[in-house]
Amino acid sequence: MAADNIKGVKSARFFIHVTLIVLAVLSLIPFTWMILMSFKPLAEVESYKPLPTVWKPENYTSVFEQVPYGRYYFNSLFISAWTTFLICLTSAMAGYAFARLKWKGRDLLFQLYLTTMMIPGLVTMVPNFGLMVRLQLLDTYLGLILPGAFSAFGTFMLRQFMLSIHPSLDEAAEIDGATKWQTFWEVIMPLARPGLITLGIFTFMGSYGSLLWPLILVKSQDLYTLPIGMLYFDSMYARQTNVLMAASVMSVVPLIVLFLIGQRFFVSGIMLGGVKG
Amino acid sequence: MKKSTKTTLIALAFLLPNLLGFMVFTFGPVVFSMGASFTNWDLQGREPTRFIGLDNFVNILTDNQFWLFFVNTIFFMLAMPIAIAGSLAVALLLNSKIRGLDAYRTLLYLPSVTAGVATMLLWKALYNPDFGPINFIIEGFFDWIGMDSVTGPKWLLSTQNLLALGVEQVSIVAAQFGLGAREAIIIMGVWGSFGGGNMILYLAALGNVPQELTEAAELDGAGRWKLFRNVTWPQLAPTTFFIVVMGVIGGMQGGFEQARVMTQGGPAGTTTTLAYYIYNKAFTEYQLGFASAISLILFVMILTFTIINWKFGNKEVNY
Amino acid sequence: MKAFFSITLTILLILSVVAMATRSPDPGGPGRTTLVWATDNNPVRARQVELFNELNPDLFVVIDPMNAAREKVIVQSIGGVGPDLFDSFGYDSLTAFVNSGVAWDITDKLAEAGIDPQDDVWEVALSSFIRDGRVYGFPANVNADAIWFNKDMFDEAGVPYPRPGWTWPEVVETAKKLTKRDARGRPEQFGLYFSFDAWQSVLRSFGGRLWSEDGTQTMLDTPEAREALTTLQDLMYKHRVTPSPQEEAALTSQGGWGSGNLTFLMSGRVAMAFGGRWWLNLLRKDAPDMRLGVVEMPYPRRATLVGGARCVLVNSRSPRREAAVRFVKYLASEEYNRLLNDQADALAPMKRFSQGPRFELNPEYPEEDFNLVWRSVVEKATPEEVNPFVKGAELTPLNQQIDLMKSGLKDVPTALRDATRNMNARIRRQARIRPDLKKLWIERTGEQP
Repeated sequence: MAADNIKGVKSARFFIHVTLIVLAVLSLIPFTWMILMSFKPLAEVESYKPLPTVWKPENYTSVFEQVPYGRYYFNSLFISAWTTFLICLTSAMAGYAFARLKWKGRDLLFQLYLTTMMIPGLVTMVPNFGLMVRLQLLDTYLGLILPGAFSAFGTFMLRQFMLSIHPSLDEAAEIDGATKWQTFWEVIMPLARPGLITLGIFTFMGSYGSLLWPLILVKSQDLYTLPIGMLYFDSMYARQTNVLMAASVMSVVPLIVLFLIGQRFFVSGIMLGGVKG
Repeated sequence: MKKSTKTTLIALAFLLPNLLGFMVFTFGPVVFSMGASFTNWDLQGREPTRFIGLDNFVNILTDNQFWLFFVNTIFFMLAMPIAIAGSLAVALLLNSKIRGLDAYRTLLYLPSVTAGVATMLLWKALYNPDFGPINFIIEGFFDWIGMDSVTGPKWLLSTQNLLALGVEQVSIVAAQFGLGAREAIIIMGVWGSFGGGNMILYLAALGNVPQELTEAAELDGAGRWKLFRNVTWPQLAPTTFFIVVMGVIGGMQGGFEQARVMTQGGPAGTTTTLAYYIYNKAFTEYQLGFASAISLILFVMILTFTIINWKFGNKEVNY
Repeated sequence: MKAFFSITLTILLILSVVAMATRSPDPGGPGRTTLVWATDNNPVRARQVELFNELNPDLFVVIDPMNAAREKVIVQSIGGVGPDLFDSFGYDSLTAFVNSGVAWDITDKLAEAGIDPQDDVWEVALSSFIRDGRVYGFPANVNADAIWFNKDMFDEAGVPYPRPGWTWPEVVETAKKLTKRDARGRPEQFGLYFSFDAWQSVLRSFGGRLWSEDGTQTMLDTPEAREALTTLQDLMYKHRVTPSPQEEAALTSQGGWGSGNLTFLMSGRVAMAFGGRWWLNLLRKDAPDMRLGVVEMPYPRRATLVGGARCVLVNSRSPRREAAVRFVKYLASEEYNRLLNDQADALAPMKRFSQGPRFELNPEYPEEDFNLVWRSVVEKATPEEVNPFVKGAELTPLNQQIDLMKSGLKDVPTALRDATRNMNARIRRQARIRPDLKKLWIERTGEQP
């Protein structure tokens, strides 16, 4: 009986490993292709042979020679970091108010939040642009950060997360004499950490990859983000797919690092939730 | 001060930063564009801007083209259940206690990290009917089983689709049956979604499933499927609900980047979604009133979906 | 948690200071007014700007290739941050800029400077910057296409060079001799690259047209249109001397310098390609050893084709618009026009500078014996047909049928019949639902739509 069980566990593990390896390989193919292409000479980007005949690491330095890639890099990281910070903070606070406090008009306001998410963002871009004109935020960092820094999505997400935290926890804190502000920081926020990190990763990635808004809002090169900057390598007179791929490979590195760090927190968050939940 | 008033004030204080930004940057513009949808607002100013009542809406809804693009949009969403089930399956696999979890998680998440223009250009190359590796494999396979004459699908260049939808109007045309541009984009989307954001959401939610529950069920000798069906699945209900709601919202507004980068909405308009249509109306024809009206129609559709979802979903979600 | 957020906030604030402090100063330096020109990043553009900056020590023009898209120029200009100068292609684009109030009327300023575009500029370009008699800018260059051929590939295959006045059957015969396929039928080399998107040129040379004079009818269900588009479709699917979209996709999506068809020519994969003189500035740079010739495409019934101009307009909302006009005047100057013709960035806008021995044979490039061909096609060219009733997304029914013909999914007569029927319905519909178009329809036809 016991041996059967162990055998069962073993074969299940084997099955899990095989499935995951297959999926991982499938996920990796295009990325690998991208890396290989980033080392190809321009003449070979058309070729469907995966390996370059001559390896050209110069493609990577060429990125920096042709555009101020370092500046783009900084801008992207800087803008995404601010956006992520603001979204996480304000969404968590709002999510707390929606999920853990009872007040008049709560559900109505929440539904309002929810409904605005259903309106295609494209069409709010023009009024928002008009607003930026009024506020004189065109071609500024603030204009790039602010409109994306308050998210109905984030509020919705963190509210859902905070709903799944057991209500007895706030009650206990309240009995201990904690204010709502203390409860929020000391009890709810630590428990909502997996949710916060998830939201953080989503927001960072979304902001990091966003193209249309910066494209319209920004004029000076100093404020270009990576997605706009990389368009150069796909523009009519400078189309160099190999260099574009090199620039792309470099641009995803921070996201991979972020995810690697983020997922460690996931694990601890998950354990935390498991113990206290 | 009454306790309820006090709580309301505290709640508002918590809400304030978000609410302020939300009102200014989201709600305001939304109300503005809703109003604009009843006007002939046109950036080119061919005529003075004025209210034209329901004209835009009548014109859109009686337009065959709108419905074609609507069908395209829905078509792209058909794979959503597969994508969601896939991401749940992957999350469940990643929730087991095996070695190398970190590595798997990162590798599976890579497609989401690398998503963007470069990846789309890459997929375009992968789908090339003559030179792309995908058809290379498909044709190689058929050669191998002795069917040399089989050629691979034309992917992004083909108007064919698995539902045999016609090109010029909303209809079924047998000759259109096959794999084409729409499937190509769907496959790309599904590929990216297994290990993507939804997987992360599920993973985080799985971490919140109380261990006592699973342990208790295991002690009862419940099988894996039963354990999943009776313990895990109900616990995941809020997450699933969230994912479905967001999926519908995203799906109805989706397809813009793919159309812009990979197909320009073609071939023959088969990959033009409503979002791409709105973009064209607003930013290449400057008919902002008209574009706002399409958005409002889209909004009503999404809202209807969501309300149904809410009614249905609420049965399983415990607040 | 609270500490984490506080630390993050501090770091972000420090970074903000760094970010603001490191923004670069005005590129022109003190004492110079900087003008921003939103245009493409063709490498030859740099010298064109440099020359202007040398001639005008108080001004400094910088190129902004990322802000050149039309939607961006309009939205940004209305918001007050648009470029001072921007490019515009064709009548529709000019109309959009004029109607949105972004293009500045500089008729009088140019007249004061003694510039008379009506007489001096190639006719094909006029409608791209003059509207209802008012002048809004000036062409930077003018283009019409002809067939490039690779002399080396002809010599290798022992095929005589194409001669002016040839016919489509002769084109096909020549191209067949220069097309090679492998055992599986996959292409290794094509005789001719002729983009299906150039169908309007072919249509016109067969004596057809797209819209009726007043724009209320589609003229594609005609023998001329059928002949023209069949000729194009047969190149791909009957004679198989031109890459079909699927054969082309591998190359266009991945590029190299310039657009796909140019890459085709440059990499020696096609012996002939239909394209413009502006290819030459890239060919000189990236394929300096390639021996090239140019011949006009066949004109079965009418010696005409589609041409166009890239025009530079002045932003009416720019505070520096007076200074920007000086750049527009520069485009009419001898210095600029000579430079442009030397650079081979298509053809210079002023007719009189495309004359004389220096134009006919540039001593720096003695093997380029084809400059007169380029002048000849620009003389023959007329602008793309426009229809006020349908533009942008309203053209989808037409583009659908073009796509279907292009990808070989539909035969030409059926597709043209469907295109005509669907577009006519579309035109009428537009005339019914849009009050401005309704007025136009009544003006032009004298009846209700």
